[in-house]
Amino acid sequence: MSTVDYSRRRFLRNSGIAGGGLLVGFSLTGCSTSAPPLKPLAGALAPNSFVQITPDNRILFYCPRDEMGQGVTTGLTTLVAEELDVNPAAIQIELAGPHPDYSNPAFGAQGTGGSTSMAAHYDQLRQVGADVRALILNAAAKDLAIDVAQLTTDNSFVIANGERHPYGKFVASAATLEVPVDTPVKPAAEFKYIGTEFPRLDGVIKSTGTATYGIDIDVPGMHYAVVARAPVAGSTVNTVDDTATRDMAGVIDVVPVATGIAVVAEKYWQAKKAAAVLDIKWDQPELAKVTSASLRADYTAGLNEEGESADEEGDAAAALANATHTIDSTYWAPHLAHAPMEPMSAVVHVRNGEADVWTGSQGPGAVQGLVARYAGLDVENVRSHQTYLGGAFGRRATLHHVIEATQVSMATGKPIHLLWSREDDIKNGVFRPASLMNIRAGVNANGKVDAWQAKRVGGNITPETLKNALPGFLPNMPEGVIDWVVGLSNSAFDGWVVDGSSVEGLFEDYDLPNREVTHVTQDHGLPLTFWRSVGHSYTAFAKEIAMDELALLADQDPVQFRINNLDNNPRLQNVVSVAQKAMAKMQPAEGRFLGFAAHGSFKSYVAEVAEVSIENGAVKVHNVLCVVDCGVAVNPDVIRSQMEGAVMYGLTAALHGNLDLDDGVIRQSNFHDYPILRMNEAPAVEVIIVESREAPTGVGEPGLPPIAPAVANAVFKATGQRLRSLPLRLA
Amino acid sequence: MIEFTLNGERVRTDDSADTPLLWVIRDTFKLKGSKFGCGAGLCGACTMHVDGRASRTCILPISAVAGKAITTIEGLGTPDNLHPVQESWVAHSVPQCGYCQSGQIMSASALLADNPSPSEAEVDSAMAGNICRCGCYPRIKAAILAAADSPVQQFDPQLDHPSQQETEASA
Repeated sequence: MSTVDYSRRRFLRNSGIAGGGLLVGFSLTGCSTSAPPLKPLAGALAPNSFVQITPDNRILFYCPRDEMGQGVTTGLTTLVAEELDVNPAAIQIELAGPHPDYSNPAFGAQGTGGSTSMAAHYDQLRQVGADVRALILNAAAKDLAIDVAQLTTDNSFVIANGERHPYGKFVASAATLEVPVDTPVKPAAEFKYIGTEFPRLDGVIKSTGTATYGIDIDVPGMHYAVVARAPVAGSTVNTVDDTATRDMAGVIDVVPVATGIAVVAEKYWQAKKAAAVLDIKWDQPELAKVTSASLRADYTAGLNEEGESADEEGDAAAALANATHTIDSTYWAPHLAHAPMEPMSAVVHVRNGEADVWTGSQGPGAVQGLVARYAGLDVENVRSHQTYLGGAFGRRATLHHVIEATQVSMATGKPIHLLWSREDDIKNGVFRPASLMNIRAGVNANGKVDAWQAKRVGGNITPETLKNALPGFLPNMPEGVIDWVVGLSNSAFDGWVVDGSSVEGLFEDYDLPNREVTHVTQDHGLPLTFWRSVGHSYTAFAKEIAMDELALLADQDPVQFRINNLDNNPRLQNVVSVAQKAMAKMQPAEGRFLGFAAHGSFKSYVAEVAEVSIENGAVKVHNVLCVVDCGVAVNPDVIRSQMEGAVMYGLTAALHGNLDLDDGVIRQSNFHDYPILRMNEAPAVEVIIVESREAPTGVGEPGLPPIAPAVANAVFKATGQRLRSLPLRLA
Repeated sequence: MIEFTLNGERVRTDDSADTPLLWVIRDTFKLKGSKFGCGAGLCGACTMHVDGRASRTCILPISAVAGKAITTIEGLGTPDNLHPVQESWVAHSVPQCGYCQSGQIMSASALLADNPSPSEAEVDSAMAGNICRCGCYPRIKAAILAAADSPVQQFDPQLDHPSQQETEASA
């Protein structure tokens, strides 16, 4: 089967962040040193940056990607384990610190995101495992004086003449040999661990409270810092009265930082109470004049602007004029916060020309670079210690908390534990951009969607993301140059090119021979960034409801209608066909209705069916069927859990997620007014993984885009109400 | 000075009486398994057992726990000696990011101590106070229902030893 190239959007007219990744076209390394990252343990073999084997046969894997729950430690360990021939459960996993060797091959920088990890490391880490195994076999052949062809391996043992020798027995000898390269890797038919079921490798530490997150770091002499933040993003401090604060128990200092005023105390609770009584006057930016209603009015006016072309083929206007049935529908998705369960936190200690930083981030190299920049140190003198991430979803690539902790440590000379509150997280974070989308489309007499004019109005994530990423990835780039680059990207997206992430998913899936995709930038100054599945999180909502509307106008079954319009996208077409068969077996009880949606993102293909009823005037989702093609299923259970989780994350957005602006202030503040889906609202999820020999692709994000439109399409069947705004609210 | 029992051990602290129990456990007694999620009793990441009842400790001042028995995730089981609920969590690969799971497990173990064979609706109701942003709910439910069938029905080991050790730790 062939694959659809999701980069087929016009290269020159689209730029910036593709698929939630970092910066396409830049090569960013967080560290200039080329010294190997590993200091071998006593007597251990460390033939590369990823694997160590000790004489007592402990095998350590240095995981280059960041574990935010997506199962990457389990997944990447499985790749090395397969070729090294070691049970993955026997491997000790270490979280790699910053080093160019741990760059994400998808970005050329040490970052985790964009559902890239498995695809980007699939060949690399199997090769690492195969080469180290070959090295051990060469050493064993030498030590045992047996032809290497007579040796085999089994779960960290070399088998020679029926005898078992631990790998560790040969590490001293192996250290004197050259490391083989390009050792042949196994054909898929010989896989022992890839594609099999076993419990995820971080299950025990995460079920016993023993996994260490950034918030758990506790070092001698550590003090806590809490920052009083401006109600309106982008404000600056005018005056501060800290008299009452300095008198409070435990307070040792009050320190201005980039984002507000930090209060430092011996304990967190003391700092939190003392920060609450600071009296700060702020100078407010233009955003302070913006309300939800004024923003929506600006976006609506934007729909009448011509906009910039993001994609064009055939003659959409002519096809629309000739179509048998047409729609002209407008869809809305609001600003959202990520709200990972662990609020932002970092521990930083700057002293004597060096620094340590501990935090769980989506880029330990950027963490190192930020501390170096703000402490005036060389990156070589900053040790960045990566922890587990208490959720991320795109949020932990923006690292203001690291800058704040660095500034407070510089001012006080102490190790500083800086922690955001949930209110900080929801009111003062970086957000999923709101989007207003219009689709004018037409279907011809053959049931093919012949015309597709789509326009998206909203903010772009690339300028803010550049502003936050460049200082860390390029710690020596002067502020003035960064401002220039950010300014350039801002003006470029306003009237010249289209930020790819703003429109991704709005047009790529279906055949659409005549299409015209345009973009109108509306930027009110609210900081924006990638949020799980990025542009797809809102474009799929518009596109998949539009397809339902067209199918009904053409009097066709909505699922078969999709299949008929996917001739150029065989993998998504197959996923829809598999879902169609499974859906036929679903027998919704009286009062329940099925809705369907499908979407390709991050090179994976997903179809979802939602079984929905209306209870007490609200939407209730009972069951979800999810069919996914993500290439080779390295860890089927991790894939299932990512699909389950993406459905829940997407349902929170579909049923609850909304941020309002009152005079530039985010109105919501905590889980009472920014509710997250709870156990009693969670549907059962059945996941079908399509068998595939294609290279593995993303699973962290692709399960999310189809769920909101699937639910909306079911609600239409249940009520006749066509809901085109998120969150879904019945009239 | 406020005294209470922490995982079977008598302890005392001179933290101010309004300090939430969560911060006393994390910052003073250095047990980091219980998490801060919202500071408002809305998400359950901070859940501990107070005299066997699942309690939101981010809004529970220590003045309210004087003389009471506190069990944290560290007191429930360890990697080498998993509690039946933890075993079930591992077997079902429940955690994703894992941050909320201490609180989930403390709520689940309190539920099963109280009601060894809950219905699905009873699980929904007992667990509705614990948010999991990764959306592990189907597995949490499956893990609780599987643990409910476990022959081991002692769900709060710290309450199994009411005499408690007389050793004191203070901070």
